[in-house]
Amino acid sequence: MSDIPVLHGTTKKQRYESLVAALYQDVFRYALWLCKNPPLAEDLVQETFLRAWRSLESLQNDKAAKAWLFTILRRENARLYERYRPELVDIEGQAIAESDENEPDFKMDRELLHNAINRLESEYREPLLLQVIGGFSGKEIAEILDLNNNTVMTRLFRARSKLKVEFGMDPEELNQ
Amino acid sequence: MNEIDFRKRVYTDPAAPDQEILDSAASNPDLQNILNQTQKMDEDMRGIINTIEIPDGLKGKLLSIPEAEQATSNSSDTLSTLTEKPAANSEVFQYFAVAASLMLAIGVTFSLTYSPSFNAGPNAAEIAFGKEVINHLYHESTEIEAINSGLSLGSVSMPMITNAMTGVGTRLVSNSFITKTPVRFAKPCIIIPAYDSAHLMIEGSEGAISVFVINNSPVSIEYKINDERFNGIVVPMINGNMILVGEADEDLGLYKDLFSENIEWVI
Repeated sequence: MSDIPVLHGTTKKQRYESLVAALYQDVFRYALWLCKNPPLAEDLVQETFLRAWRSLESLQNDKAAKAWLFTILRRENARLYERYRPELVDIEGQAIAESDENEPDFKMDRELLHNAINRLESEYREPLLLQVIGGFSGKEIAEILDLNNNTVMTRLFRARSKLKVEFGMDPEELNQ
Repeated sequence: MNEIDFRKRVYTDPAAPDQEILDSAASNPDLQNILNQTQKMDEDMRGIINTIEIPDGLKGKLLSIPEAEQATSNSSDTLSTLTEKPAANSEVFQYFAVAASLMLAIGVTFSLTYSPSFNAGPNAAEIAFGKEVINHLYHESTEIEAINSGLSLGSVSMPMITNAMTGVGTRLVSNSFITKTPVRFAKPCIIIPAYDSAHLMIEGSEGAISVFVINNSPVSIEYKINDERFNGIVVPMINGNMILVGEADEDLGLYKDLFSENIEWVI
């Protein structure tokens, strides 16, 4: 089960504010991985929360808030691509901040891993990021992606297996 | 547990190994190494993700959405108030008042002279009909909320739309219409007995817009309907009428023209 935000307060506005405070960073990070364009990701996040505000009454169960928001975000992203295809930019140099870690090896590994995630086919990358960013269970990922649970499990296995093959940690035949 | 099974279970969720996984790892250094490597890789991924910079001011923008929405809904009221209540002692107001009186006089004269049947507004039956239409929307609230929240993205295919509209004796004139204006919902429905209708939903700027097409029109004039949530417009057509209803702030004028031009009567 993903982290459950506590939606404090009794008024709609108070519930909304606690939703923003608890989840806006994760929603932005996932948006950026989805659309690979920082200004667009910001627009997507604003549109997502605008829709969340307008239909907050329909969120009956606070435990489902994070999956609900991520689902809205994915729909908004798909809706955007219905209308036009924005120019994609490499998010590596745009949005990944320099960490406090200055060791060159660490930075190289980080960049290699980042690039390897980006090279994954979206069918593998999406469930993996939902699990790592969102902390969602297989069942929650299945609901968000509208897949069955077994398919999600297979894709999660293959995603990590592909990454490990790239780093020489797994034999290639595991991916077959 | 063999290595392949171990990998499969660890790779699907390394953050939550069950006791069997932990026991297998504890009794086999190779398996322990696989578990450690996989958990470290996930930790690295989280490290990468957590270094994504969050734009300055994003949280503030998100927190201001409720006020912005409120301001938007109030703006038309404010504009209306400002227009209706200019300072009574201003010179501009005096000219405005004279011009408005003149326009009113011309308008009334025109209506009385040229309107084939002077009509003050909808009659009681038409008002009651409008209420039934809006009440019907609350029975479709699941679909409306799904569209408003962005959870309903699927587009209804042209054959499904045609099927919903056939019983009313109408159809959309071309496929290109639904390419530009995706229809999110389409089904036949009965708002009041004896009046078969087709109910379509599209997405407007404020949320779902319902479009009803009804055969054998119970109304004769165009008029507006509303309650505390929805606003709508009833439009007489050749063999029936069309009703558009959206959220209170939705501007339905554009959609009225769009559907008037793209609905064809086939009976």
